[in-house]
Amino acid sequence: MTSWLIRRILLLVPVFLAVSVVIFLILHFIPGDPIDNLLKVGSSPQARAEMEARYGLDRPLPVQYGIWLGKVLHGDLGTAIVARRPVADLIAQALPHSLALGGLALLFSSAMGVMLGVIAALNRDRWPDRLIMGGVLAGSTMPSFWLGLILMLVFSVGLGWFPISGARGWTSLVLPVLTIGLGGTALVARITRVSMIEASARDFVMLLHAKGLSPLRIQLAHVLRHALIPVVTILALRIGWILGGAVTVEVVFARPGLGTLLIKSLSQHDYPVVQACLLMLAMAVMLGTLLGDILQALMDPRVRAAMA
Amino acid sequence: MTFPFRKTLLSASVSLAALFAGAAVMAQEAVFVLNTSEVGAPTYNPIKATNLNKATTLIFDRLVSQAADLSYHPWLAESWEEAPDGMAWTFHLKKGVKFHNGEPFNANTVKEWLELFKASENAYMTEAVAEVQVIDDATVKFVMSRPEPNLLYNLSSSYMSVIEPKSYKELGDNYGVTEVYGTGPFKLESFAIGQETVLTRNDDYTWGSPLSKNTGPAKIAKITFREIAEDSTAFLELKTGGVDMLLGVPADLIGEVKKEANLAVLTMPGQDVYYMPINVTKPPFDDIKVREAAAKAINQEEILASVFGGIGSVADTFLISALPEGHVPDADKIHYDPVRANALLDEAGWKMGANGVREKDGQPLKVSLWTQSDSIFRRLTEVVQAQLKAVGIEAEITTFDSSMIRDQYKTGEQQLAVRSYNWDNADIVDWFFGGDRLGYPNVSMFNDPKAEELRAKAMTGSKNMEERVANFTAYHDYVLTQFPMAPIYQPVDAVAYNADHLVLPDTINAPGIGPVAIMDMEVKE
Repeated sequence: MTSWLIRRILLLVPVFLAVSVVIFLILHFIPGDPIDNLLKVGSSPQARAEMEARYGLDRPLPVQYGIWLGKVLHGDLGTAIVARRPVADLIAQALPHSLALGGLALLFSSAMGVMLGVIAALNRDRWPDRLIMGGVLAGSTMPSFWLGLILMLVFSVGLGWFPISGARGWTSLVLPVLTIGLGGTALVARITRVSMIEASARDFVMLLHAKGLSPLRIQLAHVLRHALIPVVTILALRIGWILGGAVTVEVVFARPGLGTLLIKSLSQHDYPVVQACLLMLAMAVMLGTLLGDILQALMDPRVRAAMA
Repeated sequence: MTFPFRKTLLSASVSLAALFAGAAVMAQEAVFVLNTSEVGAPTYNPIKATNLNKATTLIFDRLVSQAADLSYHPWLAESWEEAPDGMAWTFHLKKGVKFHNGEPFNANTVKEWLELFKASENAYMTEAVAEVQVIDDATVKFVMSRPEPNLLYNLSSSYMSVIEPKSYKELGDNYGVTEVYGTGPFKLESFAIGQETVLTRNDDYTWGSPLSKNTGPAKIAKITFREIAEDSTAFLELKTGGVDMLLGVPADLIGEVKKEANLAVLTMPGQDVYYMPINVTKPPFDDIKVREAAAKAINQEEILASVFGGIGSVADTFLISALPEGHVPDADKIHYDPVRANALLDEAGWKMGANGVREKDGQPLKVSLWTQSDSIFRRLTEVVQAQLKAVGIEAEITTFDSSMIRDQYKTGEQQLAVRSYNWDNADIVDWFFGGDRLGYPNVSMFNDPKAEELRAKAMTGSKNMEERVANFTAYHDYVLTQFPMAPIYQPVDAVAYNADHLVLPDTINAPGIGPVAIMDMEVKE
């Protein structure tokens, strides 16, 4: 297991390098540059050339990449060109908000999704199943900014239970978490239901029934354990998505976060910030998959055996 | 144990009333929402920042303040004299002014501050100042390397907010983020990037700009500036009383705000101009007749009414109406004139074809019309397209992402475009039509020898303000007669506020809602 883990972590290094090249290139190939956002009316063309030189933007791309990567490996994310702050500071400001929102949303959608999926599977093809599956389907098709505004109208404007926007205290987290979580719930519930149904048809379930175990115990203690393996894989993949994919929700609820920081700096072509944000998100996806693999190994002895 | 119900209710309501009374005394507090364009400003450091929000203007004062008619008035400088040849300026500073950290503001402060400013990327604003001489504690003299009639304008800009040099040097990059010290009517209490800024009243303040009635401490004790990127969220907050004022309301929400009984809208002349640049180097627009025809095909009144709901005003020059340099002869102002547009196109050899598109030598009059992806631009551009079609010009719309369109302009391939700018100084003519900035910002690719001559005279050949106004008027006027663009529309700056909670001054003698207005603003008790 340990040697597998080390190998698995070492494998992340080439992936990380490849991702960093892609991020760097994509960003520098899209038209537009940060200097345009810095220049104010009245400054001269020479000032532009000076600024380009100051930020090293006049050097060849491979050299710029080398400098950037070297610094990143030393833990220095650089200084934002347009925002004029150390990038690490900007990210440190945004990340806790994203982690709180994304983490809670993930927790909500896993708990809710697994529960609904189990209920639906136990009542297969009867009305609770239809109701739940219909409900989650409707929930997952609603665009999150729209769902956010609707929740806001109902719970904040209408009932006055939660603040409309902002990031003050836990009450302001409820609606954004619901908005993101409801979309994820659909996916988790559907996968849980399908894999529960699939697992129930396996031979070992028949054996358990033959041994005289109670059907509920079979479902929850044995079938669910099998069924959760694909669910965990999906959830692990969603970690990165949830950190970056919350942009629209962050904007609607006026919350700071990695998503808003990314969009803002992307529109200003603030290269160091965009690169750092994308790198964070890529790392989140990479670590998420790693976490998923480890969890799977812990849950499934067959995977563990294959690794040794 | 039975309480008489009525008595309990009575005592409860009494204590509730006491609570409200207490709250009212405390209630000189207000929550403002920053304009969406100011969301995410990462620092209150006026020297380094590229984007400063409204709260900055309350933390800092400037030497000079600007009135609604864009004239200049004292602030931290009580008075000033300009040498007749424009080579020196003497500023007499207000005495007894203190920074929030107790440091005094005096002539030395100005000297140290300008030195710091000169090392910044906004240094061009003071590059004409060769040396700052401290005459006495309250007098500074700027020795100039060349006359700079624009000096007062620069000094009134928020980037030239007077900072406290000592703490600025000590705090380094943290100045403007964790701590910030100015002389302004409010002190920074807390700042969370992208979220909110809390300011508390500076009770020692007695040196406000004379443009507001109240020059002493502000009436509001505490202001929270919130950052909300989504306009509909901000509107819901205003509607439900979560916030007291939105510092920017998009035109399409103004109607919604007006429907609410407790909300009010205040509009002030804005600093934006919407216009259609015409690339003078691309046929058929290398022919001035075709340019004039395209410019005069734009029906500004119709656009004002149909696209902008009648809010704002039409533009007939390149500059906002408040600027004196916009006062060009009426004949040179660009107005809708379909008869003239059609006649000019006929004259230029473009004859009306069968399908309503003009033709010359078998070629149809088809041009490209670029715009950016924001919805207001798309709507406006469609109307412009229809208006061009009415005189026989077929324009094909291409939409670019707003952050990419500048790079597209640099290719010089554009023919027509619809865009806008935000600026309140005549030097914007130099910025968008200067021959050394072809592509972007000079989207029109305009490079005319006579214009360059007038431009040089306007930019560096003026000794004082009157000369500068005259020179810029001549330059602006000449540019208009060459039709490198068609002016379209001037929006207003609109703020929406809760009239049950906020009292705004009757007149605001400033170019926008800023410190002058907020000093006179009151919270209803």
